[in-house]
Amino acid sequence: MTIASRSLAPTVTRRAQARLGIVLVLPVMIVTALFFLFPLGNALYYSLVDFDGLNPNPPFVGFDNFIRMFTDSAVWHALGNNLIWIVVGTVSPMVIGLLVAMLLWTVRRGGAIYRVIFFLPYVLPGVAIGIVWGWIYDPVNGLLNQFLRAVGLGAWATGWLGEPDLALYAVLLTAIWAGTGFAVVIFLSALRNVDTELVDASRIDGANSAQRLWFIILPQIMPVFLMVLTLTLVGGFSVFDIIFIMTAGGPSNATEVLGTYAYDQAFVLNNIGYGTTLALLITILSVPIAVLLNRLQRRLSLQGTGA
Amino acid sequence: MMTAVAPDQRDLRITALADPESGTNLGPVPGPRRRPAQVALHVLLAAMAVFVLMPVILVISTTLKTPADVRVNPFGLFTSFSFENIVDAWTVGRFSDYVLNSFLLTVPSTAIVVVVSVMAGYAFARLPFRGRTFLFYLVILGLLVPFFTFMIPLYFQLRGMGLLDTLPGAILVLASTGTSFGTFFMRAFFSELPQELEQSARVDGASESQIFLRIMLPLVGSGIGALTVFTFLANWNNFLIPLLYLPSGDFRPLTAGLYMFTSGRSLDIGPLAAGTLITILPIIVLFIVLQRQVTQGFISGAVKG
Repeated sequence: MTIASRSLAPTVTRRAQARLGIVLVLPVMIVTALFFLFPLGNALYYSLVDFDGLNPNPPFVGFDNFIRMFTDSAVWHALGNNLIWIVVGTVSPMVIGLLVAMLLWTVRRGGAIYRVIFFLPYVLPGVAIGIVWGWIYDPVNGLLNQFLRAVGLGAWATGWLGEPDLALYAVLLTAIWAGTGFAVVIFLSALRNVDTELVDASRIDGANSAQRLWFIILPQIMPVFLMVLTLTLVGGFSVFDIIFIMTAGGPSNATEVLGTYAYDQAFVLNNIGYGTTLALLITILSVPIAVLLNRLQRRLSLQGTGA
Repeated sequence: MMTAVAPDQRDLRITALADPESGTNLGPVPGPRRRPAQVALHVLLAAMAVFVLMPVILVISTTLKTPADVRVNPFGLFTSFSFENIVDAWTVGRFSDYVLNSFLLTVPSTAIVVVVSVMAGYAFARLPFRGRTFLFYLVILGLLVPFFTFMIPLYFQLRGMGLLDTLPGAILVLASTGTSFGTFFMRAFFSELPQELEQSARVDGASESQIFLRIMLPLVGSGIGALTVFTFLANWNNFLIPLLYLPSGDFRPLTAGLYMFTSGRSLDIGPLAAGTLITILPIIVLFIVLQRQVTQGFISGAVKG
């Protein structure tokens, strides 16, 4: 459409369009250059120097920060936690989200109310979520332990965020609680656009409900499925807020991820150069995955498989 | 020559996805409804709804307890009643200041995002000029790079510019985190408008800026509404930017205030619950009143990739 209009429009119009276009784009370019591209360029520079936050002319150290990163066992530990976070924190909301969306799709009345309730946690601030779930996990009075005692599982009651083996999964459960509503709403809107004639036809042909889901419904919502997958995967690499608020990487580094480790290095230990290098690693890891999944998603959409 | 035609194709999907009520079918069950199955379904969904709402119920319950009851039984549901915690948080806990600061940060930054994004979105969708695609990809890059990749250099940059610990500095940074998405979002809305509108206005002698302001702008009202609500929520909820770039605490908003409150006086559960309630109440009200726009904003936002 753009090409056609360009060749048809007279030169005067094209010039007027270009002039207004540049004027309208100017503010966003200033904001982008000043508060995104410039600090991003600085991040690359910081990764090549040993900056403590005070010295105006920090010594150039080449790739020392990168070498240090690959030999730092804490980085590998944090990366491992990121991987757990990505796998569990992606699979659970996707699976639960799809199941709940299917239920809401089937329900005849009141679906809108449930949708609002399930989506609510997604719009709440991370700080508030972290505080309240901290109470739920409280070792003495926490609702979770109260519940376990009430149903006779008192032996399982424990300090959920204080146990190194459990803390990461406790925070993950909170993140799943907060994030699943997003998947529900998106899957539901994709399901509403599924071709029901195909579903009915397959029912008449004798397909059971599992076969209908797998062969008829899922292929139609595949592009949306991949889209949610991309978002949660990329979010998994850059997870920071909820862990920072609930455990700050503790107890004894058990919940440390790349984000919290980079923050500690930069703002607590004043290793600005090294902290920035760690933050860059997260970008380097997540961007190719996002691009790859996006390509795949677009190819599926262009094939006309739905959504 | 590469043009911006290819990305246009994915924008078409936004309309189909944008409206949670849209879609051609209402579910897979045909014919007369099966009553017992529907009842079981409602029981299951209601149980899930209680689980989802439990943390919010807990905040309300603890807020409304008497301080004595909070000390003994902080999380037992609705065992006593008083407004003391709210009063305490509002006055001693400085949450009245935090509410004001939240508005002072959120309202201007949201306005900047909306205005800047509408302008840029229109240009990127409908006003071809040399280098447009390249500039668009520069803006969109902001969607892929996590904020904390450059939050550390940004700290020193703001200090150098004299914007650290100032309201304008924090507002500009908050606004900058929203413009990538806003530009992408508004561009999709402007791309969908028919070419004929623009051409007939031009034949009638309208200038390019008149076409933008009088013809096209009024047609994307729903997009502007969704972007406003979405950005307001995101900026209201942001806690890292005020925490890092407003270190003295003079302009501390609710989220950062709440965070500082937990690390400072973690045993004051009553006022903390009240502070949490004060923080989430505007969000919940906004969400319930405008839930369609909110959902639309988030769903369309997901198509950004």
